[in-house]
Amino acid sequence: MQGQMQLSLQEEITQFYYREAYLLDHRNYREWLDLLAEDITYVMPLRVTVENKMGSNVNQEMTYFSDTKKDIAMKVERLYMKSAWVDDPAPRQRHFISNVMVEQTGAPDEYKVISYFLFKRSRSSEANTEEIFGEREDLLRKVDGDWKVASRTVYADQSVLTVMNLAMFL
Amino acid sequence: MNLIIEELKQMQGKLEEGYFPQWVVTDPEIYKLEQEKVFSKTWLFLAHESELKESGSYITRMMVDDPILLMKNRKGEIKAFLNSCSHRGTRLCTEDYGNKKAHTCPYHGWTFNLDGELIGIVAGNKVYGEKMDKSEWGLRPVPRVESYQGMIFGNLDPNAMSLEDYLGDMKFYFDIMLGRSDGGMEVRGVPQRWIAKANWKMTAENFAADPYHVQTTHRSATEMKLTPSDPLYASYGHQVVLQNGHGINVITSATGASANKYQGMPEDMWTMFERNLNEKQVEIFSKVTNFVGGVFPNLSFLSSCSGSEGVRHNHLNWRVWRPIGPEKIEIWVWYMIDKALPEEYKEKSYKGFLATFGAAGTLEQDDTENWARIIEASSGTMSRDRTLSYNNMANYLMGFDNVEIDETFPGPGEAYPTCYTDHIARSMHKYWLELMTKESGGEG
Repeated sequence: MQGQMQLSLQEEITQFYYREAYLLDHRNYREWLDLLAEDITYVMPLRVTVENKMGSNVNQEMTYFSDTKKDIAMKVERLYMKSAWVDDPAPRQRHFISNVMVEQTGAPDEYKVISYFLFKRSRSSEANTEEIFGEREDLLRKVDGDWKVASRTVYADQSVLTVMNLAMFL
Repeated sequence: MNLIIEELKQMQGKLEEGYFPQWVVTDPEIYKLEQEKVFSKTWLFLAHESELKESGSYITRMMVDDPILLMKNRKGEIKAFLNSCSHRGTRLCTEDYGNKKAHTCPYHGWTFNLDGELIGIVAGNKVYGEKMDKSEWGLRPVPRVESYQGMIFGNLDPNAMSLEDYLGDMKFYFDIMLGRSDGGMEVRGVPQRWIAKANWKMTAENFAADPYHVQTTHRSATEMKLTPSDPLYASYGHQVVLQNGHGINVITSATGASANKYQGMPEDMWTMFERNLNEKQVEIFSKVTNFVGGVFPNLSFLSSCSGSEGVRHNHLNWRVWRPIGPEKIEIWVWYMIDKALPEEYKEKSYKGFLATFGAAGTLEQDDTENWARIIEASSGTMSRDRTLSYNNMANYLMGFDNVEIDETFPGPGEAYPTCYTDHIARSMHKYWLELMTKESGGEG
């Protein structure tokens, strides 16, 4: 019984991520924005190359972004502007989300979720594609029956990013 | 190579008339020649002293393709070496930063101390006998390492002019950006790094010489009402041409001042600024909105005042456009802030930086698009062929004969009373051409 419940929760959360990826890849940014909690913190610290004895190869002091919902909303609105050149003509993008691991937290409606991501982008008629990959650590919250991302930390695996900008959402 | 140098020499006159051939931007032979003539002769930025805090601290950097290891020794001095073991040439340190008393090569175990001296050889006496003198096999130092206002530069040319001479009048502006506060500036965390499709000359020009792009490239910022709608807004102020291809834009506003005195820094710091700077520096600093400029060849900076809802916070970011090919660069961006500022201000300034510049900043994103488009259209026959009837010249005619130097500007350099002019760009490319066509003689 417990196993069944867990499986359906896993399935539900995985489906939520697939839908999220679909919205982003199809540039439905305003709809995507609705999946984020009002108090979301959306952060991407720097991955660095350091000795193993340092314990972590993430530098939290510097981030690529450290956004509130208001900051994200502004970025979203920019992408609908006629002069956001990097997105018009739009590059093609895919978010591949996998290895979803759900963990309980102290709160009944909140789960810590780790997922792996691979983001691929094709710009213009260029043969080379850009990619960025790593993992995300989310706090998902059920609000009135809907899942919301309450916090997200994005850890890229590259210490030198191989995307020419971070105009995308991960 | 000689052929290309001859061709470059013929270009000299064209450049003075305001033309720069499009083919030189991405030409592979030009790129090779730049390694020898430009990047091996000029001062390249390595690090800010605040990145190396205590003895044993180290960071690794690149001087184009040379990996560099910087270490702080027991006396507190920062030294820079080729990051390569003197035994078989193995890259000694692969980390970005850390702290160690000594660095041991993973290949055969040779060990070097914080002064780069070889202090340990596995089975030394038994295998090398008398022939081997350890003192001759230390790490190879960067031939010249000098610093100004905490900015550490390296130069591969032992006969190069001193860093201070090279910076020349840029020192006056460095003092404003870096020397205004007691305790100086500090780098937050580590630099952001990413790869872009671009040529280093064009990105350097974008920062040092080109406020004209702001109103079009960054139009989305205007559409979002983050920046003024006046298409001339980035033109107000002075474009200042300095020696050796350096330049700075001192951007103000239509009134000649900024809405935020001292770039929006708290009033209780103003007397400190006035104490640390001279009168002319104070006059410029109190009125500036943004400083944006560059140190030739590939160091750029922006000291801006950004934020939303009328609350603006100053930050300073430095960037190195490390060439990794004629069509590719690795961008390094350091965020810097006055140590003396209150923590709360620092945090807001940092957020303002992330939102505007840096890989995810809304202003930064669109720049990369234009840089890539230059590459895409500069490698074909029509843009490169010198015998077709096309001009094949990029246009650097702005402000060619319609802007006079403003003698009343308080700072050093040739100050033109608008930032929409190609004066710095022409001066950068002129210096580039001078270096590229210089005979490599002198060493006998």
